[in-house]
Amino acid sequence: MIGKSKKMACLMLVFVLALTLLAACSGNNNGGNNGGSTAEPGDSASPSASAAATEEPTGIDTSKKVELQFYMLGNAPKDLPKIEAEINKMALEDLNATVKFNYTTWTDWDQKYKLLLSTGQDVDLIFTAEWTQYQQYSKKGAFLPLEELLPQAAPKLYEFVPQDMWDAVKIDGHIYTVPATYKEYVTNGFVWREDLRAKYNLPKPVDIKTLEEYLAGIKQNEPTIQPIAIGAGIDMALSDAYLEFYRKVVGPMSYGMIAPYEDPANITSYWGSPEHLEDLKTFKRWADNGYFSKNELNETEGSQDKLANGTAAAMLGDNPTRYNSTLNKMKSVHPDWDLGYHPFGLTNGFATPVHPIHNGFAIPKNSKNAERALAFYEKMVTDKRYNLLTQYGFEGVNYTVENGYYKMVGDANSNGFVREAMNGWAWRNPEFMLFEPSYDNVEKIFSELDKVQKPDIYTGFAEDYTEYQAERAALEQVEKQYLFPLMAGQVADVEAGLATFMEKAKQAGLDKVQEAYKKQWLAYLAERG
Amino acid sequence: MLRKNGVVKELYKNRILLLMLLPTLLYFLINNYLPMIGIYYAFVQFDFNYNLFKMDFVGLQNFEFLWKSGKLTELTLNTIGYNIAFLVLVNVLSITVAVLLSEIKGKWFKKVTQSVLFLPYFVSFVILSVIVFNLFNYEQGVLNTVLQQFGAEPVDVYSKPKLWILFIILFYLWKNFGYSMVIYLASITGISEEYYEAAKIDGANIFQRAWHITVPMLKTTFVILLLFALGSIMKGQFDLFYQMVGNNGLLYSTTDILDTYVYRSLRVTFDMGMATAAGVYQSIFGFTLIMIVNAVIRRINKDYALF
Repeated sequence: MIGKSKKMACLMLVFVLALTLLAACSGNNNGGNNGGSTAEPGDSASPSASAAATEEPTGIDTSKKVELQFYMLGNAPKDLPKIEAEINKMALEDLNATVKFNYTTWTDWDQKYKLLLSTGQDVDLIFTAEWTQYQQYSKKGAFLPLEELLPQAAPKLYEFVPQDMWDAVKIDGHIYTVPATYKEYVTNGFVWREDLRAKYNLPKPVDIKTLEEYLAGIKQNEPTIQPIAIGAGIDMALSDAYLEFYRKVVGPMSYGMIAPYEDPANITSYWGSPEHLEDLKTFKRWADNGYFSKNELNETEGSQDKLANGTAAAMLGDNPTRYNSTLNKMKSVHPDWDLGYHPFGLTNGFATPVHPIHNGFAIPKNSKNAERALAFYEKMVTDKRYNLLTQYGFEGVNYTVENGYYKMVGDANSNGFVREAMNGWAWRNPEFMLFEPSYDNVEKIFSELDKVQKPDIYTGFAEDYTEYQAERAALEQVEKQYLFPLMAGQVADVEAGLATFMEKAKQAGLDKVQEAYKKQWLAYLAERG
Repeated sequence: MLRKNGVVKELYKNRILLLMLLPTLLYFLINNYLPMIGIYYAFVQFDFNYNLFKMDFVGLQNFEFLWKSGKLTELTLNTIGYNIAFLVLVNVLSITVAVLLSEIKGKWFKKVTQSVLFLPYFVSFVILSVIVFNLFNYEQGVLNTVLQQFGAEPVDVYSKPKLWILFIILFYLWKNFGYSMVIYLASITGISEEYYEAAKIDGANIFQRAWHITVPMLKTTFVILLLFALGSIMKGQFDLFYQMVGNNGLLYSTTDILDTYVYRSLRVTFDMGMATAAGVYQSIFGFTLIMIVNAVIRRINKDYALF
């Protein structure tokens, strides 16, 4: 019966193929139920055998060996296993602990971050920032309060971070994260092609008027270059940056609210206001004049890349560090080109250094080894051996120090651990930091901004949206559907478009959300004075 | 008593077979049934401090965001509409091409065609989106450059929502139909040559043979694929829509599906409750649909039904 068995074989094949098809479709049906992970034996709070702890300088019980789970965003460097092995050698001796460095990669990091915290996974240290919603997670109780643990488990670290920084990261009176102490500015500034500007004798973009003149000049003289690169994330790259400069807002508030830095209690709805209409018309004008692409919303290439490879000639806003790396990238291919930079702060008269929340490490509530984790993190920050190793790799193998400057061995492709390859922004220690010579440029900008610095009063605000999260989600949608095309200048009648957007937003519950947001903001201001 | 005896006896009689079944049963229990407890997340207020069953029960509050923007109907219709279009077109196209290919005698040509059609399946949508952007981009896109060469007006493809219905379907077909074609081709190979020979002797031409033998013989495969696909009809092709349309709100009226909507709404929120609620809505819809269609099919022909 050869025919029969052949038929059977074929049928089997069909089924297998059909099943794989099915399996491919049902990849996302995980109910997210990893809860109740089994208790690790290495509970540092165990009362047993505390005798050995007395001679430990950290004042915590290290009698049991534990493995710490360390989570950072981004991609793991190639040489991470070597670094990890070396760190573990030291940590085992110092703290009787080993550590596993885990990386989320940048793909869907926000989803993974969410799952790490909400499914009760074994995580002992995790990166926090305002852009990973540190304030909201803290408010909801995802992290362990550290104020009592710190003096006991990490006294040196507690001393090292200045008190005003500890105060700044407090949410509802508790410290949930260990902030980075390195002071930098991530405020925006205009970026433009200095060589083209000089060639066509255009004005330096220092405000919106000169920027528009520059853009017009580029459009006229270099028709193949897109005058300004915005990108698909138009809300941040165009609207937020514009508000930061032109309306001098206190910070990128949500739900179309704005408050000026000078008078933060004066919080009003920007959406639907005459100012909003005026700004949208400006954007429309830019789009109509061809300063940015008609299809900016679908742009797939990064703005910095476009600038570096010469397809665009300006950016509305970028921070000093990123401007510098764009410049270096460009110089490496086109040495005769040049980029100019003008921080908004110099025109506006104030710049806010980065808020301590911007980089930090927290201990999730589920951590079984909180004390040890904190003690280990103290080592990462304050112990030069740990710090240099995790920031720059092995000296002589990955980098060398020349005249006090950092120098990479080989190039970015051959070197398995480039500068700050572990994305160690949070455990930077200004005392040990090494810079490349090109960073002097950034330092120069920073010192200029230092002269006009004012504290960041926005980032410490922790919004609690439990009350209106349905409206919040609905608004997110309305904004994308109706406001984004307006910002991109793709709606012929701006006034009518804005009216439609406002109508839809009101339907989705804008008023309720704005009202609640305003109340929370004012309460926060009152609390902070 | 007698009945119980019967069950025990049955179990004992087939003990080896049942033992062999056990791993599969366990697999499904652990991977497919146990996680269903997570459905409960859709009905509670998520809280880091408690475990699942101690969190506050909030009823349907988590589902609210789905209809709050007044888009639920549009989204549901879009999702179903696209999936039906995908389903019908992919099957019609792949059956046709599979039949054609099976009739081709040249082995070399056949293999090459098959591979060429199958390859797009491995192209990621991320890459496709870059290709598409370079094709349709208003200022520097291939399409507009060509149009301008011939002196025609450039077209702004990215502001024409209607056009995207066509594009989305085309991209989906391009990417996926090779795969299901291979499935059909495999079942065609399983059809016994004897039928064709008999038909040939009776004087049937090549079209008659294809229409009266091959197509009816593919029915079982088709029905199975159909039922599988129907179960996930509310689960849109997230990658495709997300990558092609992205942030372009101008196109949402025709290209927004439940998955992209949920992603956008919850991207900045970390609420487990709402995310689960959206999943539950999709699953219930899919479950109901598959039960109904299966019942209908069983009515018509019991052999073709899934269960």
